[in-house]
Amino acid sequence: MPEFIDDFLFTYQTLVYSLGINGLLALSIYVVLALGQLSMGQAAFMGMGAYVSALLTVKLGVAFPLVLLAAMLLPALAALIVGAPTLRLSGVYLALATIGLGEVQRIFFLNSELTGGALGLSGIPMKGGLVSIYGSLGLALLACIFVARSRIGRAMEAMREDELAAGALGVDLPAYKLAALVVSAMLAGLAGALNAHVTSFISPEDYGFHAAVSILSYALLGGIGSPFGPVLGAFILTLLPEVLRSLADYRGVVSGAIIVLVVIFMPRGLLTWRMGRVGAATRRPS
Amino acid sequence: MFTRRFALAAASVAAMIYAGAAAAQTPVTIGAIEILTGPNNKYGVAIKNGFDLALDEVNKAGGVLGAPLAIAYEDSAGNKDQALNAARQLIGGKKVPLILGPTLSNEMFAVGPIAVERKIPIVGTSTTANGITAIGPYVFRTSLPEADVVPVTLRTAKEKLGVKKVAVMYGNDDAFTKSGYDVMKDALAKLGIETVATETFGGKDTDFSAQLTKIKSLNPDAIVVSALVEAGAGILLAKKALGIPDSVRVIGGNGLNSPQVPSVAREAADGTLVGSPWFIDKPDAVNQKFVAAYKAKYNMDPDQFAAQAYDTLFIVAQAIRDAGAANPEKIRDALGKVKHNGVMGPFSFTPDRDPADTSGVVVIEMKGGKFQIFK
Repeated sequence: MPEFIDDFLFTYQTLVYSLGINGLLALSIYVVLALGQLSMGQAAFMGMGAYVSALLTVKLGVAFPLVLLAAMLLPALAALIVGAPTLRLSGVYLALATIGLGEVQRIFFLNSELTGGALGLSGIPMKGGLVSIYGSLGLALLACIFVARSRIGRAMEAMREDELAAGALGVDLPAYKLAALVVSAMLAGLAGALNAHVTSFISPEDYGFHAAVSILSYALLGGIGSPFGPVLGAFILTLLPEVLRSLADYRGVVSGAIIVLVVIFMPRGLLTWRMGRVGAATRRPS
Repeated sequence: MFTRRFALAAASVAAMIYAGAAAAQTPVTIGAIEILTGPNNKYGVAIKNGFDLALDEVNKAGGVLGAPLAIAYEDSAGNKDQALNAARQLIGGKKVPLILGPTLSNEMFAVGPIAVERKIPIVGTSTTANGITAIGPYVFRTSLPEADVVPVTLRTAKEKLGVKKVAVMYGNDDAFTKSGYDVMKDALAKLGIETVATETFGGKDTDFSAQLTKIKSLNPDAIVVSALVEAGAGILLAKKALGIPDSVRVIGGNGLNSPQVPSVAREAADGTLVGSPWFIDKPDAVNQKFVAAYKAKYNMDPDQFAAQAYDTLFIVAQAIRDAGAANPEKIRDALGKVKHNGVMGPFSFTPDRDPADTSGVVVIEMKGGKFQIFK
């Protein structure tokens, strides 16, 4: 490989990886937002995936695909356990409960010897790469598109617009909510595992409230009409600080201003386009 | 004889012309990753000030390798991912032969492995956590880790104040205060000082009366505290409020080594003992010159981070000169051999790339709202 291509890849490697990982996180919040639920637990599920995967790799030397699987299953299990009681809550109350989950987990990580306390875990081998990150993102995106175009997607959209009406039409609300939370936890856990295996160091502060808000802002900026919106939002918010690097001291101001302007002038997000549905064309009124 | 003198003169003229031409050459650029924006930027900015001040002096003295030395700064905003991106920019894009920073130990844990992978020496000036230099053979640090400073403080307290049993308090939710505690525990055990109680708190806690009430009942000779400024000042205030006598001193880690402690805790801060790798009132000429130059340039007092950065730049410049080329491998080898006498005292690296000399550590005590050298 020519040297300059090698250098270019080296220079932007972390950025390229972050784009894919944050895209996955955006999809994970999209899955819950798509049916009108506000979860702030994404960072917690991500941290769970990151810590489980890092511990399995560092302490037990488990093969990477199995590590990724475990990083999806444990958050899914946690989502099942936490979801059953908390999904009776809605709106801001669910957000508060899931913030609580993140805090409980953060304090656990800080006080446990196994997780290295506040010092975190360092020296995690670089096992993630372009294939695992963008493969995961591609598959997740594809799955989201198929679901959004199906009967399930329509039910989800109905729930988002009017939960009561959707329930009256026979949508099994609790089952949908729980399923969405579990799927979203799996995606976040996967993203956490990939992140841990490309940055080589994790600490409890990486998965606190700040991270939860960042993840939510991906979806808010991109819009939740289709799965592409949140991914676009994640790409933009990840790229902004790096693109604006030349502005030095002013880059925080400029990227903040851009976000504020988008929220004011495009309240439904950057991508307001909605997904077409399977079979929609054949039922066009004649 | 004549020909020999002539040859010498010709050679020196040639050398001067060469040096003159070289001064206009493209500078030797090294990279620096510091927190220049965001909530922790006070550390990064102080470090940058220290570098820039030393850079002026290095370049006035002729730079390195016949060219001026320059620093390419990248901001990490205190964020691990941004620090990684900055390091990759510096190594892959700007091709620097050496990196200074990053500011926080956590950032170093992420960035260090990349520098090691590309065989670029990286020199932390403010990364004090355990295990930093164990990241790999290209990771150096010039900041004395707590593991070197705290034992000096405790030994001084034992010798001069006759401290025999202590209570320990530490913040367990922060990498810095937690690793400070680990060091204290080791040092206390080695010095044979008995620990009667170990209490924890969170960095954002404001009420320490439960821990201190228990400590008061155990009657220790001193209270050893690993905390950052806010919690540390809160502990000092609560200690005073609970009527723990002034003779029971608070012995702090580097977190309490800050002028903000007395501004919050007022007279409750009096008697606090801390060890410091550097102190503004150190009487030696090198330090006084640095303090005066810093005040003249930035119109404020330098802090420990600026002092460490100031020394580090001279150490690095010396290593580049000794290496004879802006080559990462040669600079790394030269760094290991550099001896420098700076504002922090005599300096050299151990074979493990940590600072070798702790004779520059000063134990200071708080009196009337100001730190002074403890006698």
